[in-house]
Amino acid sequence: MSRHSIAANRALSLTLKIGAYTALALIVAGLLLQWAANWGTKVTVAGLLVLLATPVLRIVVACIQFLRERDFKYALVSFGVLAIVVLAYFLGIRT
Amino acid sequence: MTLAAALLLILIGFVAGGFGALAGVGGGIIVTPLLAIYFGVPMHQAIGITLLCVIATSTATSSQYVERHVTDIRLGMTLELATTVGALIAALVAHRINRRTLAMLFACFLLYSCGSLVKKAWDARKEKREETIPDYTPQNYPVGLAASLIAGGFSGLLGIGGGPIKVPVMFLFMKVPLRVAAATSNFMIGVTAATSAYIYWGHGDVRVDIAAPLVAGVFAGSLLGARISPKIRTFYILMLVVGITGWLAMQMIYKLITGGFR
Repeated sequence: MSRHSIAANRALSLTLKIGAYTALALIVAGLLLQWAANWGTKVTVAGLLVLLATPVLRIVVACIQFLRERDFKYALVSFGVLAIVVLAYFLGIRT
Repeated sequence: MTLAAALLLILIGFVAGGFGALAGVGGGIIVTPLLAIYFGVPMHQAIGITLLCVIATSTATSSQYVERHVTDIRLGMTLELATTVGALIAALVAHRINRRTLAMLFACFLLYSCGSLVKKAWDARKEKREETIPDYTPQNYPVGLAASLIAGGFSGLLGIGGGPIKVPVMFLFMKVPLRVAAATSNFMIGVTAATSAYIYWGHGDVRVDIAAPLVAGVFAGSLLGARISPKIRTFYILMLVVGITGWLAMQMIYKLITGGFR
């Protein structure tokens, strides 16, 4: 079995790209807006939150891809990683 | 924050992100000491802010390495089981460690990175760019997982990626080709840093006014760096990064001796 599946790589690469460019666009927009309007900072924070959410999103996408490839072992591994990261989220941001 | 300060932070981010992508270091080893030494940012905040830069580097560079099929997603995902646990525990512990101890640990890590970069530069001095990746099967998962746990711990404690720990272990013990090991480590540090970043964010250690311009610069720098990295020789860049990290390590040690970082 090839260690690199094309479909999974494409989906993951796309997820990371969308996350990266969305976060960058929001942060730059927020930085420019904060000189004009006081809600500009909120746009910046939204950009940083997109940045923080992208790694989680890419675990979810990987998990779905593994399920579609019927690779249940690695789907379970992804789910395990997701569980730890979600735990960190609730221990950190929510408290 | 003044416009000049914001522009300076964007520039620092750009340079750190670019070098990070080209030299295969997270960029964190430059950002944290700069913030702590020259901007007077408390260590915990410097680390929290740097974690966001690490996520940005990982996201920007991985989007390209994954596309080029260099990253081993299955291996990365498996080792992330350990890095995230390490990062979570360390981030919780870091809050109870005082600033000077953190700064001292960071200075030690800088010296270690400096040494490992010298070795990397020496190896890269006459390397030929191999285009194809040889077949391999990762071995020794227990060793890889143990190293990942430690790397994750350092990531959560010091806001670094942990590449200098994971990459040699993947290469030497797990028999993964070096390029795959580097790309996979890069892929992993995003999730690892996010795990501890949540804890730092919760403690209010991520200052948005400093983090935002830095992250914007890091994104631009690492997107560009990852794009041009196959085309240039890394030797001189590595030597430059060695110089910078060496200088920053000296500065941190000097500031520690003279009673700074309180």
